[in-house]
Amino acid sequence: MNNAFPEILQCSDMTVLERQKAPLQRQQEQLQQQEKQQQSYFSELRGVFSNQTSHVQGLQGGLLSGDSLLCDMVMTPQAKPDPGLETARSELGNIDIAGMGFGQCGYVNGPSFDMNYAIYRTSSCPPAVVAAAVATEGVEAKGKESVESEKLGSAIGRESFKKRKADKLHCSKVVAEDDSKRIKACAEERESKITGPNTNKSSSSNNNNKKQTSTETSKENSKFSKVQKPDYIHVRARRGQATDRHSLAERVRREKISERMKYLQDLVPGCNKITGKAGMLDEITSYVQSLQQQVELLSMKLAAVNPKLDFNIDNLFAKQVRQNPAAVLHFSVTNYAGIVCSRQLFASCTTTFPTVGMLSEMANPPYLQFNPVQQVVSCREVEMGMGMGMEINSPDMALQRTINAPLSIPDASFLDSSCLAQFQSSAAWDVELQNLYNVGFDQEGSTTPFPSQPFTGFH
Amino acid sequence: MRPPSSLKQEFLKKWITGLQRCSSSKRNMSILERTKAIKLSADVAMASARNSTTCWSRALIANASKDGSDGKHLVEQILGLESERLMMKKASTGALVCNKRIRSKKILKRSCRIPRTRKCVPQVALATSIAKRMVRKRTQVLKSLIPGGEFMNEVSLIEETLDYIISLRVQVDVMRGLAGVSELVNHN
Repeated sequence: MNNAFPEILQCSDMTVLERQKAPLQRQQEQLQQQEKQQQSYFSELRGVFSNQTSHVQGLQGGLLSGDSLLCDMVMTPQAKPDPGLETARSELGNIDIAGMGFGQCGYVNGPSFDMNYAIYRTSSCPPAVVAAAVATEGVEAKGKESVESEKLGSAIGRESFKKRKADKLHCSKVVAEDDSKRIKACAEERESKITGPNTNKSSSSNNNNKKQTSTETSKENSKFSKVQKPDYIHVRARRGQATDRHSLAERVRREKISERMKYLQDLVPGCNKITGKAGMLDEITSYVQSLQQQVELLSMKLAAVNPKLDFNIDNLFAKQVRQNPAAVLHFSVTNYAGIVCSRQLFASCTTTFPTVGMLSEMANPPYLQFNPVQQVVSCREVEMGMGMGMEINSPDMALQRTINAPLSIPDASFLDSSCLAQFQSSAAWDVELQNLYNVGFDQEGSTTPFPSQPFTGFH
Repeated sequence: MRPPSSLKQEFLKKWITGLQRCSSSKRNMSILERTKAIKLSADVAMASARNSTTCWSRALIANASKDGSDGKHLVEQILGLESERLMMKKASTGALVCNKRIRSKKILKRSCRIPRTRKCVPQVALATSIAKRMVRKRTQVLKSLIPGGEFMNEVSLIEETLDYIISLRVQVDVMRGLAGVSELVNHN
């Protein structure tokens, strides 16, 4: 054992593991040297580890009664907590003590030593000072296993150790990287938080591990991301939050619900200021009720207007167009959904209006991932067109048609010409009337175009 | 994603067909009857425009077809016989499945409620329980509003609400237009 070590000792940046493998005297010397030279990285961590090591050392003393060196180690006072934070070396020194304690038990002969040696090799690269720490932790754990681990485990009583033992050995590299990031990132955290991310990260990477992290529910840091994949949903546990299967599923469900509530917020007018679920639901119910009432009222109105329920639109228009074409046209354009513009209507209207600039569509910004192009009618432009008989050029208009011109086939996007048997749908315009809904029931008075609630189909 | 204009057109087409069928019956209906007929045909047309993709449409059509002869014939006409049968089948199975699901969920909740106690501060627990109760009350109200809402869980309830609101808007727009035009025509 002693022969193998010198070569290791001669390597330059051997801090922890060389001490570990070296004979105890050398380890002791180096330890003392290191402690003098270096500052602690985590003062609390060291404190904790020192507590641990004191426990361990007590046990070690009991277990290996004949080992005087070990007893000496036990007696070696732990490093006084240096307030510095830069390197992890002295911290490793503390871990090292514990590791040494374990190592002594475990590395009697070849196999465990080889294993440790292998780990040492892999973790000897410079950036992995922390990896070395983790490796030592892994080594510790292995050493623990090889000894009467139950006693040690109970004595230590730290969740982190147990958890590291459970499955981190085979993914110590991964945890090392994670830990390196975390430890480098948060230099001043308390030791509980250091172990916290270890456990949380590890448990989030193995979602089926039911850990004891459900007891740590009070932390509030935010490292939360959710990645949607086609097969199943990956949810990363927030720091300090429970990670058992039930709460994960609940969290996913809550995310879904809140997403859809956002859509509803945009759909229902006047919901922008309300944030809670109960208030939102209130608004939604009142909105749905109002819509249903409007349907009732309108159906009653229709019933009152038509004693016989005949809704022959062609006749309707044919009668009126001759008498009052402007009003009819205006009315139909502003109120009716543009479907009723039959050929008769057009034919009669062309005589009275030379040109009418009609449609204006506004392309609203993409809305809720739904149909990005919304069509809004500008009533004022329509009226102006009627009154003045001029062609209106508006900056908003993406489409302009004139009635006077021979009826051209309209855009397929605006009109489904195959839709109605009754209505000759060669209309030159198709008018979308969402904004009218917001005005309420005023009819021909509504003039100003205003941003409407975008009309979004769900599917 | 269906563009809104075609939705309106489809709705109107189906609605007019339904209304024509109502008007073809020679008897004179009172205003209330007419109101009901109009509303019913509008609802059925709206629901059929969805082609049974949503739960509320299926539930609505199921309700319409079970009441009396009026609804049934209307539905038949608007949908066509085979599709009506298909929809009925879907609706009935959907309702059955939903009922079972609800019952099993209730049993599960009751059994799980006891062991899963949360360790919370009492004030926090009180506030959360109050909030939960409020939310539950309001979801009950919403469920009563939306056709077939009692059978849905929360997530699908919100989706159905979205769809239903859009359909209602379409309905209101088209009806208002038609009402205005008819009014104008009749007054002149």
